[in-house]
Parts: sequence; C-alpha cells; structure tokens
Amino acid sequence: MTSCRVLNGDARPFEHAELNRRVASGFNNTWASKKKVTGTRRPPEMRDGVAKPATVRQLLNGGIIRNMPGTPKFASAVYEVADTLEANELYQRNGWTDGLPIIPPTEEAVARFLAASTLAPADEIGVEPVRRRSITAEKVAIAAVMAGCLPEYMPVVVAAIKAMCQPEYALHGSTASTGGSAPFIVVNGPIRLAIGMNATHNALANASRANATIGRSVRLMLINVLGGVPGQLDRSTLGHPGKFTFCVAEDEEDSPWLPLSVERGVPAGQSAVTVLQVESPHQIMNEWTHEPKEILDTYAAAIRGNMLTYSIWEGNYAFVIPRQHREIFAAAGWTKQNIREYIFEVARVKRGEWRSVGKTTVAGRKDEEKIHRALRSPDDLLVVAAGGPAGGFGAILPPWYGKKSLAVTVPIAA
Amino acid sequence: MTLRVLDPRQSAQGEALRMAPPLASLNGAVVGMIDNAKIGTERLFDFVEEILRREHGVRECIRRRKPDASRPVPQPMLMEVSGADAVLSGIGD
Repeated sequence: MTSCRVLNGDARPFEHAELNRRVASGFNNTWASKKKVTGTRRPPEMRDGVAKPATVRQLLNGGIIRNMPGTPKFASAVYEVADTLEANELYQRNGWTDGLPIIPPTEEAVARFLAASTLAPADEIGVEPVRRRSITAEKVAIAAVMAGCLPEYMPVVVAAIKAMCQPEYALHGSTASTGGSAPFIVVNGPIRLAIGMNATHNALANASRANATIGRSVRLMLINVLGGVPGQLDRSTLGHPGKFTFCVAEDEEDSPWLPLSVERGVPAGQSAVTVLQVESPHQIMNEWTHEPKEILDTYAAAIRGNMLTYSIWEGNYAFVIPRQHREIFAAAGWTKQNIREYIFEVARVKRGEWRSVGKTTVAGRKDEEKIHRALRSPDDLLVVAAGGPAGGFGAILPPWYGKKSLAVTVPIAA
Repeated sequence: MTLRVLDPRQSAQGEALRMAPPLASLNGAVVGMIDNAKIGTERLFDFVEEILRREHGVRECIRRRKPDASRPVPQPMLMEVSGADAVLSGIGD
C-alpha cells in the first residue's frame, strides 16, 4: 500500500495496481482547445509569470511558484505524495522512468517550465499518428522536469520533439523497432552557450547537465507519451546506451566550418536542433597521418563495417569530428562539403561482400556485383564538430535503418 | 508538507480500438492478408493461405504487401481489404 493519493478522482488510498485504471478518467482539462505551437503565444494566466531559472530547491519545494498568479490547471491526473523520495518511488513503481531517479514533476515546476517556453499546457508540439498521441506542451514539460532539466532548456526539448514528429522521421517505427536506435540530438546556435552545453571533452557522454537532461527528456517523453516502454511499444532487442540520453552541442567556436544547422538551411545566429535516429556510435582512431583522405578512409572503413555487419542500406550517417582531426582538415582547406563528397565516393560495399561476414544466405538473393553506397548523395552525411582538444578519436553514427528515418532540423523558438 | 505531482502519460486520441467479433465459421469466407513487408512474411502467408483454403474452406484470400514495414498500411490498401470477412495483419519480425 502506498501512502500517496490521487487528488482529482477518488481520494482513497490506492494500491499501485489501481493507478492505471484511475488515471484514464482523471482528467480535468481546463485548457481543452489544442493549439499549434507558435513559439510566441503565452497563456493569459502566465503573461506575468516568472521567467528566471529555477533552482533545484525551488523546483522541489515549489515555494516560489505556489504564489505565482495564474498557475495553470493541467489535464494530467494529480497525485499527492509525502516527499521527493516517495514521488520517485511512485514513478519507478509504475514504470514511468528510465530506471534512473526523477525530479518530481510538481504542478509548480511544470508551470515554470511552460512559462519558460511561452507555452500553454494544451499546446500541441506534435502528433504521433500511429499510436494517436497528441504530444502536448504539458507532457513535454513533465518529462523535462522529471529528467532534471532547468526551465531554460525547454525550448531545446520542444524543438527536438517537433523535429521527431515530422513525417520523414518515422517516429513510431524507429521507436518500436527491434533494431534499437536512439534519437541523436545536435544543438547549434547561441542557446548552447546560454544554457551551458558541452561540445568538447567527453562530447558524446557525461559532461553537462544540459546535454544529459535534454536527451533524457526525450526518452521520458517516448516512454510515457508514446508508450515506448521496453517490451511494450519499444521492441528493441538490445538498444544502446544512447537511449538514456544522446545530445551534443556543436563546437562552433573552435571549428573552421559552418554549423550543421546553417548547412541545413537555418540562418546563422539562429539556434536550432537536428535530430537523427541512430544506432550506437562507433568510435574510430587515427592519429598517425596529416592527410585528410587517410583520416577519412578510417571513418569510411567503419561505415563499411556497419554496412556489412548491421545494415547495408543507404541513409543519413553522422560523423563527430574532434578538434585534432578538424585541424588537419583546416590545414588542407577541407570543408564539410569536401568531406561529404569524399565519403560519398569511398563508403560503399559490394553486395557479395556479405559472404565474408556470415550473410551468405542473403548475399546471393540479388546481384552480388551490385555496389551499395552508404549515402544517397553527399548531403546525406551530417558532419558535427565536437570533442576534446586532444586525441584523434572521431565517431560514425549509423542510421537506424537506411533511409526509413531521416534527419530533421528545426529552429529553436526564442 | 506534501507534493502534488503530475501523471506523465498521455492517452490515445479517439475511441479505444476493439477486436472484431470472431467469425462463426471460415467456410466460404473471404480473408484479407496484409504482409508487413518483412523478409519472411510472404512465405509464412503462403502456408497460412494454403491451410485456410484446404482445412477451413476459405473461399478467397486478398493478399496485399505494405510498401514499408515501419509505416502504417496506406489507406487505399486498407480499402482493398475492407470488404473481407476477416483480416490477418502481419506484425513484427
């Protein structure tokens, strides 16, 4: 027996097993109309709201916002718990987390996150049509609070989810697939610096609260809003560690190249996210040459390995290129476009090579002389500058499944 | 002091999906078969069709193959099998 209570339904203490049944009818939707996100609209109740960042203590005790005029009422069912530990246990027990502890999404904290992104609870960030899920700002804010974000991260989280809701991203298929992949989120523009994102040491892993919690917000949204629970909608055989969180900032300040977002059509100086559904990153190393083509031959070898051992199909690949390699390219005058064009030519395999990796039975089903390229065109390669200042370690990020899911870039609303 | 926390889940829009009632008999029935475009489905459905016809008296099988395993069945394809008495839909690998 838990000691928490559901407040907008029967207030009797309840067993854990009762929770699912009650929540379905526990809505008190006072912001019923679904409105498209404009990025500028604020609910009338929140026009005088507080925009400054909350501290963790404020988020936990809710003391500041409790007295804020116009805290919105939410569509979500409300539960009353004794403290943060009990809140965590409630969410863990119900499978509402990724297994790591959560920050309790109190009404006050969620209101603050919505205010920071100028969104009303019912604003629709996107729709996943297969599961018929309208992804509202309220649910995104709940996920962001739970993940440990600060309110000012919200515009990045919202933009990432908007990107994933574009049809070419194939959100349902990529979330449900046995070929366990994860959204790889690349952030460009001034907001990276404003919220303290990491683009250097340990770029693809733990180094910054913003990187860690923005990526985790997306995962918690997938679990709770889409139902992407392992063994339920999420049918991944293995998955990979990036499914906890996988978010990087591009090192624009220390790069000779155009930012990824600018290459993909976003005006310079505008913050943006690019999201690509990827398999686990494969790290490569080449510290023994100053010849750009030799460096890229190492990356291409990793792609060919992926094409033979995982998926031969063409699609969006991403490279994460560290400073040590960038300096070699810069010295030789190589742009990102030069890199893309070279990789387009060399990253390819012959179907018959499948025989060398144990795929004999399928190799002969079609023309074994057929050449498969990794990329449909040079533009399929996303080149991201990130990583610590020393070390010739880069990474290739293979697509989930060929061109079934494509990279999407979305500007971040101010 | 207590905390009031929000449910992170989202329900599906619209009415809940329901299973169609079972047929009293397959004898003389028309069965739609939607191949989910996975590599083994066509062969599996060959066997299933044979069993349906030989052992259960199914009159006709309307077989269609999805263009993409990772996306929903296109609406025109759904319409093509909508007149069947029952539909088998491939899912997963």
